[in-house]
Amino acid sequence: MRRIGLHLGLLFACALILVPLLWVVRTSLLPEHLSYSPELMPAVTLDNYVALFTSTRYGQSYLNSLIVAFGSVVVALPFAAMTGYAFARFKTSGRAGRFAVLATQMLPPVAIVLPAFALLRTVGLTNSLTGLIIVYAAVNLPFLIWILMGFFEGIPVDLEWAAQTDGATAWGAFWRIVLPVSLPGIAAAGVLGFILTWNEFLFALVLSGPQTATVPVALAALQTSNGVQIAKVSAGVVLAVLPLVIASRFIQRFIVQGLTFGSVK
Amino acid sequence: MSSIELDHVSKLYANGAYGVRDVDLSIGEGEFVIFLGPSGCGKSTTLRMIAGLEGITSGDLRIGGRSVNNVAPRDRNIAVVFQSYALYPHMSVRDNMGFGLKMRGVARPLIEEKIREAAGLLGLTPYLDRKPAALSGGQRQRVALGRAIVRDPVAFLLDEPLSNLDAQLRAEMRLELVKLHRRLGRTIVHVTHDQVEAMTMGDRICIMREGRMIQVGKPLEVYADPVDTFVARFLATPPMNLLPARVEGRGDGLVVVGDGFTVEVPQMHRAAYAGLAGREVIFGLRPEDLHEAPQPGFSPIEVSVVAMEALGVENILVGQIGSGEAGGKATAKDAAKPLEISARLSRHFTAPVGARVPLYLDPRPMHLFDPETTRAFPRPSLRLVTN
Repeated sequence: MRRIGLHLGLLFACALILVPLLWVVRTSLLPEHLSYSPELMPAVTLDNYVALFTSTRYGQSYLNSLIVAFGSVVVALPFAAMTGYAFARFKTSGRAGRFAVLATQMLPPVAIVLPAFALLRTVGLTNSLTGLIIVYAAVNLPFLIWILMGFFEGIPVDLEWAAQTDGATAWGAFWRIVLPVSLPGIAAAGVLGFILTWNEFLFALVLSGPQTATVPVALAALQTSNGVQIAKVSAGVVLAVLPLVIASRFIQRFIVQGLTFGSVK
Repeated sequence: MSSIELDHVSKLYANGAYGVRDVDLSIGEGEFVIFLGPSGCGKSTTLRMIAGLEGITSGDLRIGGRSVNNVAPRDRNIAVVFQSYALYPHMSVRDNMGFGLKMRGVARPLIEEKIREAAGLLGLTPYLDRKPAALSGGQRQRVALGRAIVRDPVAFLLDEPLSNLDAQLRAEMRLELVKLHRRLGRTIVHVTHDQVEAMTMGDRICIMREGRMIQVGKPLEVYADPVDTFVARFLATPPMNLLPARVEGRGDGLVVVGDGFTVEVPQMHRAAYAGLAGREVIFGLRPEDLHEAPQPGFSPIEVSVVAMEALGVENILVGQIGSGEAGGKATAKDAAKPLEISARLSRHFTAPVGARVPLYLDPRPMHLFDPETTRAFPRPSLRLVTN
């Protein structure tokens, strides 16, 4: 009886989360004039997807988003790994330093976006993917540092001591032992950073231009003075969710692997 | 080449607390030395200072006559086996064992040969391609040892390497380690809080407490002549009985009088203890020096049985003596239950709980401690007495 109740509850929760998404998938596959139809699936067409790529710059934006998200992770991860390791292993700047790093994350993004715009304008990087990559790397850095700090703290210091008595330098112990052991954590942090950047709207809106718009900005642009082009928006959303679904599979694998990987005791 | 000398070595932490205080010890080449003490006594810190993993605040550390205070761990050629084994989880057993040689730029064929040799010695040959996660606790322990052996270091530092093993495996590994020491002839420093390991494995034991090395000596010497009540209680289970008492002159002899017992000081100790007449002391006697049968020179006491522990090979009697009222004045902090007494008796001796039984104590191995300082009053040393 309790099991049935449990399963009913789980079904309800799944429905709550999945129905809106499935409805978006349905709308993306309907001809535009049937978008608001009360019927479940009156017709099927891929016209919306085709139109999205032919009559808007969605394809360009998609590519931009991939470049910016990957780029920002690639730039931020090495810094995050080194800082996180330093925070985890040494008394560098103490608790104050750690919280100062986190505190930057607590400011409302609006408070950062204008100074960021002013800075990028000075160096001529507004409306450029490079500018976006740098800003996202900087904004995500504290978050990544904290995730990795937790991971490094979980690695027994004995491992590094063993490596050092085995003849490695402190850097060698980090490079040959700590990094490989914490690879699942670093991968998980990378995927999380990717998702954060992929979804981000405000910075992209302010710092990008028509050629450098990312997916969230492109989707927002479909709300025109002629009304919301709901069919195209749906198709765009479905495509925008795809990398996240793939990323979440990765994250699951890495985190599970991370939990069992380091078990030495 | 592989002697280790600690010359007044101290470790002071940033908060002003001492981790290790003024340790002065010379470990000879090829010696097997045990650091024994309760947790937090500084024994592991001392070990890590020898390995170079922990800085030295003051004093001088010499390995093979060379001061190594400022020498990095990798340049000391010392191997450490950690309590957690600290195997590299992403490497196979083979790579774990070869890591140290690889770091030193040894040629691959030579590394292979050394690994094969050590694996054969430790029975690890079938497991060389496994990851540590696929090994049992005992096998991991062997890999950790193997990783140390292949490097052919000048000394092995073992930080409680047996404490994660079950009792039977621990006994086996204890023997293995002793054999290994005999075979390799290298200096070994073994940190433990296990009295059995301390008594059975080393050439010398160094007992540490609160960062200080309070007694250093051969296991049986330390057992027979503890310098204070801490060592007296720490080195055996059940620990030495410590009872508040008073020394009195009687005729031309001396007696120790406590609540429920009177012991005549044997002739051999009379000269040493002569100056103590009239003083409060703590009387110390090991449980095996209480017997169920009288012999000439033994002093009788009456004990009411609190518990009998039948261990198969022997019976441990825990009992109470005296009225339980006196003796408060002389109670030292180490003698928490001054009137409880344990005796190691024959396995044929049994008594119901609550019964009052006569026991006979052998006064020859007795100790007297100062209740103020807990230090032992010096007396002639005594090799273990057998009846």
